[in-house]
Amino acid sequence: MKKHLKYLAALAMLSLYSCSDFLTLSPETQRNVLGYYNTPSDFNNALVGSYATLRASGLYGSSLIWMGEVSTDNSDYGVTRQAVNVDNYQFIDKTYTSLNSVIYAAWRDHYAGLRRVNAIINRIQDVEMADNLKNQYLGEAQFLRALFYFNLVRLFGDVPLVTEEITDPDGGADLARTPKDKAYELIIADLTSAEAKLPATYPAAQAGRATQGAARGLLGKVYLTQKAWDKAAAKLKEVIDSGTYRLLPSYADVFSFTTPVNAEILFNVQYKSGNTGQGSNFGRAFAPWQAGATVLGPNAGTGGGTNRPTEDMENAYEEGDLRKPFTMQSSYINNVGNVVNERYVSKYIQFGALAGDSDVDFPVLRYADVLLMYGEALNELGQTEQAISFLNQVRTRAGLAGLSGLSQEGYRLAMEQERRVELAFENHRWFDLIRTDRYLTVLRSKGSNVKDFHILYLIPQLELDLNEALTQNPGYSEN
Amino acid sequence: MTRKLLFLTLNTVLAMLLAGACVWAQLNVSGTVSDENGQPVPGVNVVEKGTATGTSTDVDGRYRLTVTQGNTLLTFSFVGYVSQEIAVGSRTQIDVRLLPDTRQLGEVVVVGYGTQQKRDVTGSVASVAPKDVQRIVTPRLDQALQGQIPGVQISTTSGAPGGNASVLVRGIGSVSGGNEPLIVVDGFPGISSLNAINMSDIESIEVLKDASATAIYGSRGSNGVILITTKKGKAGVSSITFDTYLGLQQPAKLLKLMNGRQFAEMVIESRNNGWLENGGPNAKITDPNSVRTSSYRIPVEYSDLDNLPPYDTDWQREIFRTAPIQNYQLTATGGNEKMRYALSGGYFDQQGILIASSMKRYTARLNVEGNAGKRLTLGMSLAPSFTSNKNIPSTGHYGDLNLINLAWTMPPLTPVYNPDGSYGNTYYLTNEGGVGVANPIQVANERVSTTSQFFMQGNAFGEYRILDGLNLRVSVGGVFTNSKTNNFKPSTLPAIEAPTPATASFKADEGINWLNENTLNYKKTIDKHYFDVVAGFTVQKSGSVESTTTATNFPDDLIQNINGGQITGGSYDIGEWSLLSYLGRINYVYNDRYLLTVTARTDGSSRFGPNRQWGVFPSFSIGWRLSEEGFIKDLGIFDDLKVRYSYGLSGNNDIGNYRYIGLLSDSYYVLGDQQVPGLIQSSFTNNNLGWETSKQADIGLDFSLFGNRLNFTGDYYRRRNTDMLLSKAISSVTGFTSAWVNMGEMENKGFELGLSGRPVARKDFQWSSSFNISFNRNKVVSLGESEEIFSSAGGRGNVSITRVGHPIGSFYGHAFEGIFLTQSDLDGHAVQNGAKLGDMMYKDVDGNGVINDLDRDIIGSPQPKFYYGFNNSFTYKNWSLDVLLNGTQGNDVFWAGAVFAYGFHGVQNQLAKAYENRYVSPGQPGDGKSPRMIRGGLNNNLRYSSFFNFDGSYLRVRSATLNYNLPQGIAQKARLQGGRLYLSGTNLFTFTKYPGYDPENNHAGDEMKAAGIDYAGYPPARTITLGLSITF
Repeated sequence: MKKHLKYLAALAMLSLYSCSDFLTLSPETQRNVLGYYNTPSDFNNALVGSYATLRASGLYGSSLIWMGEVSTDNSDYGVTRQAVNVDNYQFIDKTYTSLNSVIYAAWRDHYAGLRRVNAIINRIQDVEMADNLKNQYLGEAQFLRALFYFNLVRLFGDVPLVTEEITDPDGGADLARTPKDKAYELIIADLTSAEAKLPATYPAAQAGRATQGAARGLLGKVYLTQKAWDKAAAKLKEVIDSGTYRLLPSYADVFSFTTPVNAEILFNVQYKSGNTGQGSNFGRAFAPWQAGATVLGPNAGTGGGTNRPTEDMENAYEEGDLRKPFTMQSSYINNVGNVVNERYVSKYIQFGALAGDSDVDFPVLRYADVLLMYGEALNELGQTEQAISFLNQVRTRAGLAGLSGLSQEGYRLAMEQERRVELAFENHRWFDLIRTDRYLTVLRSKGSNVKDFHILYLIPQLELDLNEALTQNPGYSEN
Repeated sequence: MTRKLLFLTLNTVLAMLLAGACVWAQLNVSGTVSDENGQPVPGVNVVEKGTATGTSTDVDGRYRLTVTQGNTLLTFSFVGYVSQEIAVGSRTQIDVRLLPDTRQLGEVVVVGYGTQQKRDVTGSVASVAPKDVQRIVTPRLDQALQGQIPGVQISTTSGAPGGNASVLVRGIGSVSGGNEPLIVVDGFPGISSLNAINMSDIESIEVLKDASATAIYGSRGSNGVILITTKKGKAGVSSITFDTYLGLQQPAKLLKLMNGRQFAEMVIESRNNGWLENGGPNAKITDPNSVRTSSYRIPVEYSDLDNLPPYDTDWQREIFRTAPIQNYQLTATGGNEKMRYALSGGYFDQQGILIASSMKRYTARLNVEGNAGKRLTLGMSLAPSFTSNKNIPSTGHYGDLNLINLAWTMPPLTPVYNPDGSYGNTYYLTNEGGVGVANPIQVANERVSTTSQFFMQGNAFGEYRILDGLNLRVSVGGVFTNSKTNNFKPSTLPAIEAPTPATASFKADEGINWLNENTLNYKKTIDKHYFDVVAGFTVQKSGSVESTTTATNFPDDLIQNINGGQITGGSYDIGEWSLLSYLGRINYVYNDRYLLTVTARTDGSSRFGPNRQWGVFPSFSIGWRLSEEGFIKDLGIFDDLKVRYSYGLSGNNDIGNYRYIGLLSDSYYVLGDQQVPGLIQSSFTNNNLGWETSKQADIGLDFSLFGNRLNFTGDYYRRRNTDMLLSKAISSVTGFTSAWVNMGEMENKGFELGLSGRPVARKDFQWSSSFNISFNRNKVVSLGESEEIFSSAGGRGNVSITRVGHPIGSFYGHAFEGIFLTQSDLDGHAVQNGAKLGDMMYKDVDGNGVINDLDRDIIGSPQPKFYYGFNNSFTYKNWSLDVLLNGTQGNDVFWAGAVFAYGFHGVQNQLAKAYENRYVSPGQPGDGKSPRMIRGGLNNNLRYSSFFNFDGSYLRVRSATLNYNLPQGIAQKARLQGGRLYLSGTNLFTFTKYPGYDPENNHAGDEMKAAGIDYAGYPPARTITLGLSITF
């Protein structure tokens, strides 16, 4: 009996001894936070993850198309109305409800990106690494943070300003909206810092990261949005004078899938084919609904009907505009050889790419935009004559005659028209019209029942529910 | 070790065969065994003491045995009765009257880590006899248990061969964690499915329901526990049994769909209506296709109703078939005082009623037990099985190639095969506003999906008697699983567009789950005090590896697996958990009438965060056997009467592995025109994450009347689950939209009643009957700060809501109010954008005069108000008839398949009545309940509304079996111990208003947040089988 007890005791001891080890298991096939953010390569990985946010459905992947294009006179939607696309039709009908999933995705994914860059900005100072690399990473993260907040304040107005990682699940439950001036202060500070820290160019293998020119150009756009004309003009002139960027001879080359980062691109969202989930989907998504191989090539899936150009958009192009036949089509021939009269955006189509797997990048900031912005700033500063030359640079490439003799007001309209066709379907229309206070006038002139309060998007209901301090934008509370 | 035991077993078998052959000095003894009332007792073990010679009494209580002459003792034993030993002497006729036993040999029930006298049990424990599950002919234990146990709700969510069922004990206790009970087979907790067990191997099934019974399983007990014990050999009783059945299965119901002409008419009408509504102010129905946008074109093939394609295919008849089912099983049991064994092998083969689905299963089991000396018992068991399945998509959208939905939606004007032998298709229609539907026969013939699974449970134990009443048991066991799935989609599918290269995937899973248990058990009677104490500690660890490989870019369809293409993707996933436990239980009985059980288990789990790694789960229960008290005895009514009460805690650790640790996810991007790897944090770290707690109180009453011929058991329980694991929705300003926390609360309360009896127990005719009914009310009490969780199934949007104050997974959508039949209907109703005459009318929930998606509300619940089973067995001489009924009442089913079956939109085929009863015009309003046919209707009649909900209540004749038991005389002539021939039908009739195939189907399986959604699921078959069971 004694002997048995001894064994038992030994067994019990053994089990107690190994308890904590036995019960500590960490995922072997899933990366986890234990031991992360310690090395330069961790930060590089975190930055790549932050860039990837740009492709999220709430950013350039989808929401900004609906919020930036479909909500304007540029485009509508080619898919039959059904339960699953109620949210999409709200951008056309201007009947937004606070449950709109496209708007929610924009809010959600921008903040997801902000968490990623905040983690980098807050943690990188304590990590031992080469100064130039640390500065570059910090600059990149600041550039992205500025871009995310710039989008947010333009879409939603005042938003909660988060600059740290939130570690408590309830950390966002009582976070009020910060006046957007504060956000703009942060955006300008981040871009100013990024401009100083970022290189003008990268080696080919790094192409696509945020550059000094990207930070400058974006800062110019921020100033323009604030109507700080002189600061905008100065900053944009720095971009032009840097000599890094130029207009490509052919409009189509800007969107070439073979040279995605070209001399006209300041910053874009990068994609790559290869069936590894890195390809872009814009060509297929914008092709006519259910159109197949005749439009997209074999094995390219069927068209998504998104961002279908309006008749008004089609008519916006002047006779002989070289950009039109590249940017959009008015009809297509279907699989059995019939002509279907359905407009669609063709500028992103890479014929023959597999469904959702094309190389075509999505431009965020390009040189033509810089030229037009610079012209706009000059015009607002009363230098209309000089401004016209920058507008005409863009027109000349499009095969159009240069303009002359414009008044300041006339220039504004010419600029609005030129931006519409030059930057068509690059998510600028809504932002441009809002920035120039023209959204309501222009849309109403075309029969839209847009309401006064539609100059900001609504705050998603889910966010209002989960954050006590959050308030809805004016006008939206009624529905 | 294995080899040695096998050797010993073989020797034993051999020895017994020899013993049977010995022929010297023998005596034939026969007689009748009766009970205290003089009624014959069948099944009494009659054994010649000290030998392997034995038999059991037949239905008339008779036995016949050849024994050795001399000082032979015969032992008569039967559960619930005092054993008797009788010296044979030279007598050849020995009749015995058995007396009911009050303790030592009372009916025993298995409880966690031990057994208990049924009369002493104070928790809620239900026992199911193997004969009760074996009288329904099915390979699936979950189906066999359906309707048999109060408080256990089982529904067959898929009728596919090898499909699973949802099993719930006393309602639903978790929103995000598991809801299925813990399955313990021969002491091993954590068997993944009831169907891993061959039904013929089962000796007993117990279901632990209240906290007193489940707390011994600690952090795994809160969803109830099902204990299964497999057959062991018994000393002195040897037999070889051969079981087989052969049968045919058929679908129990088909839908009445439109014929070809109706289909063409519907296409024309709906496209015209759609064009008028969407074609602008000048649209006319006379507009030719060239003017119309593609959605509203009329396919040229259908445009001339007098000249339609010459086909009228009934696609349902093409995909369903009459399918064979067969089963063979051989079981040998036997042994003596030193060595006992049970050995079985089985083969099962089922073709599915849906073409291209089938299952084969091979099973074996060996249980051996032997005495090594006087104090030590050693034993081991080994149970391998191999299953192979052919799978076919059989729930969901037709776009996912669900064969059933394809058959419903495929135009009847399309032939199965074209005159040239190629498959009929709808490719041409996609250019004319149609939506391609794949030919289901082509899908079935050309798509490949096979799964094979190897499963093995092994266990070895030693039990050492330290003192009289004090035993130490040490066991080591393991479960090993290995499964492989091959999927191949040829280039010809989905058959709605030009061929796309074939794709294939391969999935391999391997799991090892091992367990060491060490328990001490002490039993002691001191005067009127009886103690039964268990204490122990256990160590368990489980690891699984799942890998998948996908291949694309196939040049052709010749090699139908990943080797035929380029490997372009894959994954590898390891999941591990470990569990350390200390457990203890004291059962105390005073004077045979006052009962107390106290239980506790402490679990430490790798799944719990460091701040909450150990949980303690205590419980107690008390009982009072009133029938032992003089004042009750004096009434002379009750043979047994017991009241009991229990309260305790148990937990649910089914929260996933590593969940407290914040994870990083791959997030690739492109730099320098190359894909580069990146990482993002994808979840919060929460060191406080732990088990879900279940607090349960139970009050119960058991009694027996009329000489134990009527037995009643009833319980009222209230089960409160707290600290529920929730993926709490959080403000996305944090960078995440959700975080796992313990915060929700849910309540289940209800009654369950079981009544069983033998209304007639005559010599030639017996009727035994049992009825059970359970009422459970599930209510979500708290979901933390969020008020509701939406769930969807199969891309049909958020149709289910888990909302505070309502049952989990309630249906959420528009309340359908009828059809707009007149202009005044439209004028008098809240503004419904796009609605016109013939459209569906929805309720203005918020009363603001406008219908939009904020007007959705709770429109039903998939949880029944009650469910019940009613089982009867009639025996007349050698004939017996078993009839099993079961049903549910008050549950709603969202027939997601009805979104197709009532398509209304002129693209796919649909129910004939949806067309015949439709609204056409004010002069032709149809039945007033069916909307118009329109493609692209602005009102969107297909949005989720209560129109698509149906009453899922049913009463089913689950099984009826007519048995013929071989008369003893004939059996003996044929040198058999017994034989049975039977004809059985399962799923014979279902009384229900549900219009789909079967109200039990559920698209989301056992996901309770989206329960009750029949998305054109695989219906259970109606089966007729002929079976034979003979025992040598």
